[in-house]
Amino acid sequence: MNTAAPRLAWRRMLERASSSRAALVGLGALGAAAVLGVLTGTPVAPLFAPAAALCALQLCVALAVHRSLWRQPALLVFHLALLALAVLAALGRALSFEGRVELTEGVPLEAALVEGRAGAWHAGGTGSIAFVHDGFEIDYAPGLRRGATRNRVRWTDVHGDEQRAVIGDHHPLILDGWRFYTTPNKGYAPVLSWRPDGGATLTGAVHLPSFPMHALRQAREWPLPDGRIAWVMLDLDESPIDPRARSAFRLPGSHRLVLRMGELRAELAPGETVRVPGGALVYEELRTWMGYRVVHDPSLPWLLGLSLVAVCALAWHCARPAGGPRTLPVTARPRDGRPLRATGRGVPHG
Amino acid sequence: MAETALMSAALGCYTAMGLLIWQPSARPAPHSATRRAMRATAHAGACAAAVALAAALVLHTLAIAVRWQSLGHGPFTTLYEALSSNLWSLALVFGIAWFGLRELRAGALIAWPVLALLALWLAVSDPAPGHLPATYATALLYLHALVGKLFLGLLLVAVSLALLPVLHRPAWLARRLPPLPGPARLDALAHRFAAFAFVFDSLLLVVGALWAQDAWGRWWDWDPLETWSFLTWIALALALHARASWRPAPVTFGVWLSGVFVLAFLTFFGVPFVSVSPHKGAV
Repeated sequence: MNTAAPRLAWRRMLERASSSRAALVGLGALGAAAVLGVLTGTPVAPLFAPAAALCALQLCVALAVHRSLWRQPALLVFHLALLALAVLAALGRALSFEGRVELTEGVPLEAALVEGRAGAWHAGGTGSIAFVHDGFEIDYAPGLRRGATRNRVRWTDVHGDEQRAVIGDHHPLILDGWRFYTTPNKGYAPVLSWRPDGGATLTGAVHLPSFPMHALRQAREWPLPDGRIAWVMLDLDESPIDPRARSAFRLPGSHRLVLRMGELRAELAPGETVRVPGGALVYEELRTWMGYRVVHDPSLPWLLGLSLVAVCALAWHCARPAGGPRTLPVTARPRDGRPLRATGRGVPHG
Repeated sequence: MAETALMSAALGCYTAMGLLIWQPSARPAPHSATRRAMRATAHAGACAAAVALAAALVLHTLAIAVRWQSLGHGPFTTLYEALSSNLWSLALVFGIAWFGLRELRAGALIAWPVLALLALWLAVSDPAPGHLPATYATALLYLHALVGKLFLGLLLVAVSLALLPVLHRPAWLARRLPPLPGPARLDALAHRFAAFAFVFDSLLLVVGALWAQDAWGRWWDWDPLETWSFLTWIALALALHARASWRPAPVTFGVWLSGVFVLAFLTFFGVPFVSVSPHKGAV
C-alpha cells in the first residue's frame, strides 16, 4: 500500500494552513472580532478569544512546518513570545481574581465583603488578607474635576507589626499578591446603632450613593434585624466640594441625618437618639467609605516580561541588515557599456 | 499671549515650508547653463524649505514650552494640545528623515498636506486649558506619548516613501521633482520605516497596558481607545504580512500603509475626543 501520497497531501494541507497568506486570515479574524464588537456594541472578548485561538494554532503549525522561521532567530523569538502571550493571557484568566469591595473607614476588610469573578483555577476570596482604611482626601479642580486621591491605610504584616501607607492613583495597596486600587466610587457612611429594648446593640454603616456623582440623592435604606426598614438621607447645608473653586473631598461640617420609619420622621445630629417602637436608633457619626478594585493575577509580571521580549525581538529583526537577493532592476545601461553594479540593498524578506 | 504669537509664527513657517518645497529640482536639461541654473534654484529652494521647517520647529517648541510652563503640565489633555504636540512630533520625525534621506526629498509633498491639515485644525481649535486627570501623574505618560509619536512619525515617512512613484505619474509634476529612486530601494526603505513604526506601535500597546494596570487595575478592557489602537496594530501587521506574501509594487504597499495611517490618525485625534472612556478620568 502506498502511504506516500496521503502523507504528501497532508503535508501540503498543513503548509497551506500555516502559510503567510493563511496568517493574514488569522490576523483578519482578530481585527474582524474587534470591529464586530465596536459595530454591534457587544463585548469584544468573547468574539476575540476564538480568533486568537485560531491564530495561535496556525502559528504552532507554521513553527512546526516552516523551517525558514527557525533560520530567523529574532522573528522566531517574536512569534514564540506572541504565542506564549496568547497562552498566558488565557491562563491568566483562569488563575486570576477580579472584584470590588466597599470599605467603611475604620472597619477591617473581610473576605466575605469582596464580590468578583474568580478564574476556574483560582481559590477565590481574599483569604486572610486584611487592612483598614483610615480616611482619604481627594483634590477637586473647578467643575468637579477629580484630582489626586490620597487614601491612608494600615495593616498588620506577617511579623505582627502594624504597617501604614498612603495609596491612590498609580499606588495600589499590594498585600501578598493582592492589589487594592482606589476608585472614583466613594462617599459618606452614616454609622447607626440599633438598641432594641432588652436586646444586644447592633451597629452598622450605611454606604450612601457615590459622592459627588450622586450628590443630589444621598439616601439609602437600612434594614433592622426585625425586618423593618429605616430610610436615611444626608441633609447637607452646603456641598463639601465647591464646584466653582479648587476644593477637596472632606467630611461635611454642618449636616443632619433625616430618618424615616413608617410614620416617624426625625432629623438627627451626630450622637442624637430617636425612640421608635421596640427600641432606639442612634446616629453615632458620619464616616467615609471607599470602593476598591481588587485584583489577584499571578500572570501579570510574566505578561509584561513576555511583551518586552516580543518587542525587543521585533526591534532586533527590523534592525538587522536587509537579507534576500541584492539585486537592482536594470532599467538602463551606462554609455560605456560596463555592466551595472548593485549599490543599493535588495528587497528584504518578511 | 506669547504662546499665541509663537504658535502663529510657527504655523506661518510651516506654511512657508509648504510653498518652498514646490521649487523645481535639478532635472537633466539640454544645456549645461540651464542645468546649472535649475540645480542652483532647486538647491536654494530645498535649503529655504529646510530653514523654514527648522524655524517652525524652534518656534513651535517654544510655544509648547511656554504653555507647559504656564499650565504646569504638558500637551496631553485637550484636542488642541494633542494636535499641537503631534504636529510638532510629525514635523520633527519627518524633518530628520527628510534631512538624512536623499530619497525622501520629494516625499515632503506627500507629508506636507498631513502637516497642513493638522496645522489648520490646530488654528481653529479651542486653546482653552484642560484638566490633567490624576491618572496622568506618571512617568508612563511620557513614555506612552513618546512611542506613540515615534510610531506615527515613522509611519508618515514610510507612506511618503512608498507613495513617491505616484507623484511622478503626471508629467508636469515629474518635471519638477528629483529623479525617482529605484523601486527596490524605495520598497526597502518604506518597509524598513513601516517595520520600525510597527515596533513602536507594539511598544505603545505594551506601555498603555502597563499604565492601565497601574491606573485602573486592568491591563486591557477593550474600551474604545484600546480597541481602535489594537485595530491600528492589526492593520499594520496585516500590511507587513501581506507585503511578505504578495510582494506588491511600492505604490500598492503605500496605499495599504496610507490606510493604516488614516486609521492611526482617527485613533489619535478622533476616538479620545468622542468616546466616554476611562482615559478621560472620572468624577
